[in-house]
Amino acid sequence: MDEPFVPLAVETRALTRIFDGKPAVSRLDLRVPVGAFYGFLGPNGAGKSTTMKMLTGLLRPTSGEARVLGADLSRDGLSVKGRIGVVPDGLALFERLSGAEMLRIQGQLYGLERKVSALRAGELLEAMELAGEGGKLVQDYSHGMKKKLALACALIHGPELLFLDEPFEGIDAVAVSGIRRMLQDLVSRRSLTIFLTSHVLEVVERLVTHVGIIHKGELIAQGSLEEVRATGSLEETFIRLVGDERPAGPGLSWLGARELEA
Amino acid sequence: MTEQLRVLAELRARLLWRRFTARGGIAEGVASVVLLAIAVPVGLGFAVAVGFGAYQAVKAGGGLRTDVGASAIFFGLWQTWTAVSLTLNDREGLDLRRFLVFPIPPGRVYAMGLLTGILGDPMGVVWGAMLGGVFVGAAIARPGAWLVLFLLLLAAFAVATIIFVALLQELLSAVLSTRRIREWAMLGSVGASVGILALLLWSADRPFRAAVDFLPTLRIVQWLAWPAAFPAAAARALFAGRAAESLPWIAGLVAGTAFTGWIAYRIALAQALGAGASGEGSGGGPGTVGLGWRGGRVGALLEKEVLYLFRQPLARVDAFLAPVIMAVVALKVEPRIPVEAGEVVRALPLFGAALYAHLLLQAFWLNAFGWERGGARAFFLAPMDLSWVLRAKALVLYGYSLLLFLASAAVLASVGKGTAPAWAFAGALVLHAAAAPWLLLAGYLVSILRPKAASFAIQRSSAVSTFSGLIGMGIISAVMGIFAVPALLAVRSESPSALVAGWGILGLLGAWAFRKAIPREARLLADRRDEFLPAVCGDDA
Repeated sequence: MDEPFVPLAVETRALTRIFDGKPAVSRLDLRVPVGAFYGFLGPNGAGKSTTMKMLTGLLRPTSGEARVLGADLSRDGLSVKGRIGVVPDGLALFERLSGAEMLRIQGQLYGLERKVSALRAGELLEAMELAGEGGKLVQDYSHGMKKKLALACALIHGPELLFLDEPFEGIDAVAVSGIRRMLQDLVSRRSLTIFLTSHVLEVVERLVTHVGIIHKGELIAQGSLEEVRATGSLEETFIRLVGDERPAGPGLSWLGARELEA
Repeated sequence: MTEQLRVLAELRARLLWRRFTARGGIAEGVASVVLLAIAVPVGLGFAVAVGFGAYQAVKAGGGLRTDVGASAIFFGLWQTWTAVSLTLNDREGLDLRRFLVFPIPPGRVYAMGLLTGILGDPMGVVWGAMLGGVFVGAAIARPGAWLVLFLLLLAAFAVATIIFVALLQELLSAVLSTRRIREWAMLGSVGASVGILALLLWSADRPFRAAVDFLPTLRIVQWLAWPAAFPAAAARALFAGRAAESLPWIAGLVAGTAFTGWIAYRIALAQALGAGASGEGSGGGPGTVGLGWRGGRVGALLEKEVLYLFRQPLARVDAFLAPVIMAVVALKVEPRIPVEAGEVVRALPLFGAALYAHLLLQAFWLNAFGWERGGARAFFLAPMDLSWVLRAKALVLYGYSLLLFLASAAVLASVGKGTAPAWAFAGALVLHAAAAPWLLLAGYLVSILRPKAASFAIQRSSAVSTFSGLIGMGIISAVMGIFAVPALLAVRSESPSALVAGWGILGLLGAWAFRKAIPREARLLADRRDEFLPAVCGDDA
């Protein structure tokens, strides 16, 4: 029987990126359904950020194809960019602008009228609990505040698809909870597709509807959350698929030696 | 302590080595060698000149020739050294903030930063050669044991100047610490200068000439320039053969240096400790800032560029530097131009100011994206043609350069003797506008091909790579060479209209080339994003 037609927000075919002769991402076939909350998981250095950069136009693929919101990224890059929002690894913030300026200018860069952009900037600052900090330079924001601001920047033009690279990395539990609530709200209130990379599995498990797992540049699992984790938890499945490759051995015996000598 | 210093030295050496071994490092290495190759003969040339001056001053053995000679050597060297260091701004120091986490006294890190900065500065060769020339000149004139004391004096003078420059850099950065004050101070500086120019243009009897009459009284405050005044006094005594008389001046120099160094370090430390928690500008609501520009993407791009330029310490320093340098030109160069030299020659300081306004901002066209850091990603993520980013940058930078030129022209007109003829201002405006597209077009190409993450702190790290700096010298030389052709023809024919027409044609050609080439440069930028973004967004400042 044929598979039912599912409109895809992201579809890649044999997407590959090679750095200095070594494949960082190898022949990736991603399928992210429209309206999905897609968690793209993998250990450090697996190729998550490289994939996201290729999907958002920040990095050129060595080979393969990528279609985002039905458009070929290599041909219709500009129209795709107007329909997606991105929180890249390392963020994309002008540190010498104030939070309010950053948001408003970001909105205008995405084609919003100045008035509309300023209005939305105010609302987003309010929603991100940054309302009192709008006049402060971005460089003076804490890491968590920067993450929230970057998320607000990605949302200001009302994207259909949101790419979030490690949104929970380096921020405290309260900020994680706030961002998580906001993302859940975004997905439930409107047909927004979210593509998120993370290695905070317990948070991801509570958020996502679909999962893809990448390891050493290759996609090793993909499907709905239920399909991928089968009977166990997402963390158990992840460790089973990726494997614990840390070498065994005593090591670091010198740690604490000073107290013992004393 | 020695181990910590060794580690710091190793760190600097490794970072330097990485710069040369990283992608594009060979070009950096070659550029450094070329800069040294230029600096050495230049330094030797000046060394011979000041050496001859020292020889004559010592030979005179006292009196006016000795006094004037000693003062000229030390005040001249000090002025040039300070001005060049503040203008070129290529001291590669250690960032104090990054080292606060280590168990190393911050004072030691600061001193180490100053030291490594001098060693990595190609201009150090020039200053070293000139000091060497002074010593050799004096030694030939009168060999003897007094030379040991003179050598000590020269070393103390060098250290005093370096630390004085460091203090100026820290002060410029710290005094203008509040964003609003910095922005208004810069606007005020430029605005006041432009205002003066406007008044002068409207006024026939030049009412500001009276201000110049006060300048001689400034001589009594020469001691503010103590790194030159103390050694000049000591040298006068030494040259005249009164070694004992020089000792209090040398002691004063050492004490002043120690005090200045301590203040500079305390300011740097306070800034490092306070970084990230300035709270400046807080309290404003969303959307409260803004220049009132309308429009979509282009307006946003222009506004972002204006805000970034105004918040850039280097740009603010340029706003203060341009009028000061032009005041020096007005006082020292303009009076030496004879009236019979012709109108074109008398207008040369004004034409120089037009080109200097571009030269001052060269870091912004040679490394146009260096200060964007992570923000550069936004240009690639947004749904817009990158050519608009380049156009917005060009327009804003040209506007700022024009303000600097107007400020410089105002200073030349008010402080100087006003030797330039009336048509020269229009000619200089044409020159300023005509040179811009050529410089910006070539500079943006360098910005795309050789991007470098730049630091916002003016006193730490350089704004452009050595290689880009060298290419920049080439670009400026080429543009000056091209624009000199109409000037030479005009000097021969005594025809100012030919000069302005020639520059106008070159400007139109430049505008046409800019219009045609910018989309291509934007495509190049898009094609090179894989190399470009890591270089700009990286933490390599």
